[in-house]
Amino acid sequence: MDVVTDNFRHEKVQRFEEFVDRRLKPDLVHAIAERDKVFEQQKVFSDLRRNIENLEKNSITNVRTLVNLGSEVYVQGDVPDTRSIFVDIGLGFHVEFTWSEALKFISLKEERLTRQIEEYTQLIASIKAQIKLVCEGIRELLQLPAERTVEERVF
Amino acid sequence: MVLKHLRPLQVHFSPASEQAVGVRGGLWVLSSSSLSTSRLPLKVDWLILEVSREASLPSEVVRSKPPICEAEVEGSQSGVIMESGRVKGTVTSLASLFPAQDARKAASRVQDAISEKQRELEQLRGFITDNDNLIKLVQKLPEELHHEVMVPFGKAAFFPGRLIHTNEFLVLLGEGYYAERTSKQTAEILKRRGKALDSQVDSLKAMMDNLKAEASFFDATASEAEDGLVEIKEEYVEENFCEQESTSGVNKQDVPSVSGVDKAKIAEIDAEYARMMARFDELEKEEELAAANGNKSDDEDEEEKGTQNQSLERFYGDKQSLSKGSTSTWPRDENVSSKELLNKYQKQQEASTNPSNCSGLSVQTSPKEDVTSGNNSLTESQRVINPNPAAKSVTFAEVKEKNQTLPPSTNQAFTGSIIERPPIIPKTSKQETETTLQPSGSQPSKPVSRFKMQRR
Repeated sequence: MDVVTDNFRHEKVQRFEEFVDRRLKPDLVHAIAERDKVFEQQKVFSDLRRNIENLEKNSITNVRTLVNLGSEVYVQGDVPDTRSIFVDIGLGFHVEFTWSEALKFISLKEERLTRQIEEYTQLIASIKAQIKLVCEGIRELLQLPAERTVEERVF
Repeated sequence: MVLKHLRPLQVHFSPASEQAVGVRGGLWVLSSSSLSTSRLPLKVDWLILEVSREASLPSEVVRSKPPICEAEVEGSQSGVIMESGRVKGTVTSLASLFPAQDARKAASRVQDAISEKQRELEQLRGFITDNDNLIKLVQKLPEELHHEVMVPFGKAAFFPGRLIHTNEFLVLLGEGYYAERTSKQTAEILKRRGKALDSQVDSLKAMMDNLKAEASFFDATASEAEDGLVEIKEEYVEENFCEQESTSGVNKQDVPSVSGVDKAKIAEIDAEYARMMARFDELEKEEELAAANGNKSDDEDEEEKGTQNQSLERFYGDKQSLSKGSTSTWPRDENVSSKELLNKYQKQQEASTNPSNCSGLSVQTSPKEDVTSGNNSLTESQRVINPNPAAKSVTFAEVKEKNQTLPPSTNQAFTGSIIERPPIIPKTSKQETETTLQPSGSQPSKPVSRFKMQRR
């Protein structure tokens, strides 16, 4: 009898562990990576916004830049008219904007990106909670004493 | 691995037997169905050498050895190979050393490493193609004065613009340093980078080849372990070496026993020794004859010594053929013994035991002189032993001088000393002396007195 229950319990624990290792943890990693991507995008657009604001403030109409050809080889590039700017709106499409239009789009985009980040953060939190839950379940199955929470020092 | 040794041996020795066959000389040949299917092409040189040495021995020697023993290995996971009750080696199944599972695991791990390297290689290949494209681009750009392009502005935006100064490139040299180069120069820099990439690809390929070989080895090991291949280990004891040691030991014992004349030891000496003695007797007879011919000058004595040397050498040659397998070791032994003898001379040990100790003789034997002179039989027996006493005494003195002045490494000194060894003579030649001459209580002290006689 004992042996049977032991076997059963062992099997269950194993299944739980597998669930944590093969499902929850990869999910967590994936979610974190996605959120990082969004963070990056957010940074790109905030940079772009700052740059455009800079151009606006200084009313720069033509720009000389260095264009990266790859492998850190640069050629000089000349932009005769900076008033029209092509902004990536996603899925490989670029739209020609004026500065004010671009700034409007960028603020919309940033808003969306922050929402996405929030979603991802929620997702990550829930995954972490699930992992914790399953771990607790395993602990109960094994009838181990509850983990003692280390008392945090108050500085 | 010891296992690898088995295959070449199997080819040489027992092509079709179903058992493990022990071969003398620290070798074991295993031929079973599993072994014959094993595809290990490795050769081990020393084993083959050993085999050839074995094969080149005189047939007589081989016959004199205990019959080749056979050990049943099949079916047993591990065991011990015995020869005449002595543990010769151990038999261990490969599976116990390298479980097939572990081998498979190792192989899969190596496979993972290979796939990782493969990814790296693909990445490198991508770099190379990028580099090639860039070279083409850099070479093409100066063809036009300017190019209409979209100039990137940040990562997410472009300006419509154009490339100007198309023959001026800013190239990163590394560590944040940039150099302004023309199109040609830039292309050269990029080509050099391409070469570096190529060499990286080559090294990566070599590593992958190594890993692949490793993986195949692990796979082979696993399959062999599953097949039930057996590993046979035996301590490599160089039997020849042992024999040589023992013989030399005998020799060493002989030299002192010559002085000590231990009857018990003589009893132990085998037919080989008897033959040796017979040879000595022959030599004795020759000497006797020579002595009968009358006095000889020193030169003649020298000549005789030469002949003696030859005969001795012949004798040793005989002994060589007799000795089991240890052919090449004999000269060294002789040297050793000779050195010992000479050292003895220098130390001037008891003259009574060793007649060739000239220096001690005069003092020690002076009281015995009377005895010898008084006893005819004794003197005669002495004469038998030392055919031409006068000449001998001279030579002995010479030898002694040499010993004292020169290091005891010269061959001649050694041969002379060996010839003069008195103790051998009393052992077996006693009968002869007794038969031909009056029986005398030939004792170890005799030689001394004889020497004295010679001096007189």
